[in-house]
Amino acid sequence: MSQLQQLQHAFMDYLLASAAVDTPPTLAQTTQTFKDKIAEQGGINADIRMQIYANAYRIRLTETLETDHEMLGIYLGDELFERMAKGYIASQPSAFTSLRSFADALPDYLTQDAFFSQYPIIADIARFERSLLNAFDAFDTERATFARLQALPAEQWPGCQLRFHPSVQLFQCNSNAVETWQALKQQASPPSPDYQGKRAWLLWRGESRLTEFISLSEYQLALLLGFIGGATFAEQCEMMLAFFSDAQAPMQVLQALQAWFQMGLIRDIA
Amino acid sequence: MAQDVITQAPLGFGLGLRTQHFDAVLNTEPDIDWFEVLSENYMVAGGKPRYYLKEIGERYPLVMHGVSLSIGSTDPLNMDYLKALKQLANDVQPQWISDHICWTSIHGVNSHDLLPLPYTEETVKHVAQRIKTVQDFLGRRILMENVSSYLSYQDSSMDEWEFVNAVAETADCLILLDINNIYVSARNHNFNPLDYLNKINPKRVQQFHLAGHSDYGDYVIDTHDHDVPSSVWDLYRAALKRFGGISTMIERDANIPAFSALEAELAIARNIARDTLGETHPLNAAKGRKNMQEGKVIV
Repeated sequence: MSQLQQLQHAFMDYLLASAAVDTPPTLAQTTQTFKDKIAEQGGINADIRMQIYANAYRIRLTETLETDHEMLGIYLGDELFERMAKGYIASQPSAFTSLRSFADALPDYLTQDAFFSQYPIIADIARFERSLLNAFDAFDTERATFARLQALPAEQWPGCQLRFHPSVQLFQCNSNAVETWQALKQQASPPSPDYQGKRAWLLWRGESRLTEFISLSEYQLALLLGFIGGATFAEQCEMMLAFFSDAQAPMQVLQALQAWFQMGLIRDIA
Repeated sequence: MAQDVITQAPLGFGLGLRTQHFDAVLNTEPDIDWFEVLSENYMVAGGKPRYYLKEIGERYPLVMHGVSLSIGSTDPLNMDYLKALKQLANDVQPQWISDHICWTSIHGVNSHDLLPLPYTEETVKHVAQRIKTVQDFLGRRILMENVSSYLSYQDSSMDEWEFVNAVAETADCLILLDINNIYVSARNHNFNPLDYLNKINPKRVQQFHLAGHSDYGDYVIDTHDHDVPSSVWDLYRAALKRFGGISTMIERDANIPAFSALEAELAIARNIARDTLGETHPLNAAKGRKNMQEGKVIV
């Protein structure tokens, strides 16, 4: 191992050890190994010089979590957010070149952590905020219009499939995480956690590049899941018979499609 | 040879493009000569960041500034990152691309900080070889920036300015001189910032950064979240005298103020350059944006 390599390992080991939640037994040795490579040069001592980097590491990653998860931060309050940030930073050193991806694993962390997993709504809020981010900077594509579907010969309708805009995402959870997020966004008191029943939401980025989301009823979710999974118009009409009468089912599918085109969800018709 | 390393006329006075100012820039089309964009912020598939980048890039010359090249790391160069950088450069067509003389990651773990290197011959060779590889891959010279630092290594055997010059000469790259970083490091390491300026090879300096910092008395932290202080303006004046008319931009990374506040700071830079170099100097006459509007080739 070259001297440069040794130095970089010692520096990174020190940063990671300093960011640990509980002081690791090796911290003193790790600190000393790095300190041995630092020149004493007058002014502030080597400990403070090293600490500046340790603080910067922790602060920069904490700020990333604050920026990406603003409503979660408000929901948790300072003390719990700090606990979450320390725990996540310690358990998930960044392997990314961009901080945009640093908190990608936060929902999983919150689901697995012994303390935070007791309150599943916390992981749900984190997952919802990551879905918003993913919709925000997903790939850009053209969007198809309802007129294109209308222009198709009638015999092609039963077999037609839809391709969705890359920003389209389905968010499902068992808590009132989105209602809580909305309340916090409006600076209102969040409702009490509620785990009664499944909830589903559709997120997408509209033509105006604003990220939008709406709640989905059971049949709307089934329709979206079906089309996203490659089901045809005919298959979807048949599937809707579980929710509607023979006469209503095709109309419900058609109405949903019309709305989706208007919302800019559809990229192409296949 | 060094005499003809810089072939590009100065772009004038620019600002770092920040998301908070996307609409202000597009709606008011302010009189800014050029913008610097943070490469990593646009390595996303699409959406608002890429939309504004395209729209603003059609109105102003852009340069790309990265923070994750990790040129001094002993990890292999991150080719996925370099491919993304090259793709972004193809899309943006920047006037130039820059990053920092530092390391950010080791063992695949990114500190997201610009960590200092030991100033040794071994490091010069290591860094210069990697810059050459990057330049070959991108098909262009890049600019490498001096970083602020808070510690020195026992291994270091030369001054920072000697190291920067040696890296630039060996790699045949250009230098982005951050005036604030020189000031910060001078305070933290107790050297005269003018010594630094006076030792840097003027033939390789193509851009200046100006920024603010946080002064804690015994030490100074490079926060890039304050107005440019008088100490850095003084150093900028000295830098203009030493290096001539170099493309200048104000880099604000946090505590982002209203766009008008940054325009006002840039006006201070323009005034200092006019006072120091004269009204007719190419830097002061530079109109990167105007040339672009008139369809003139800038490079």
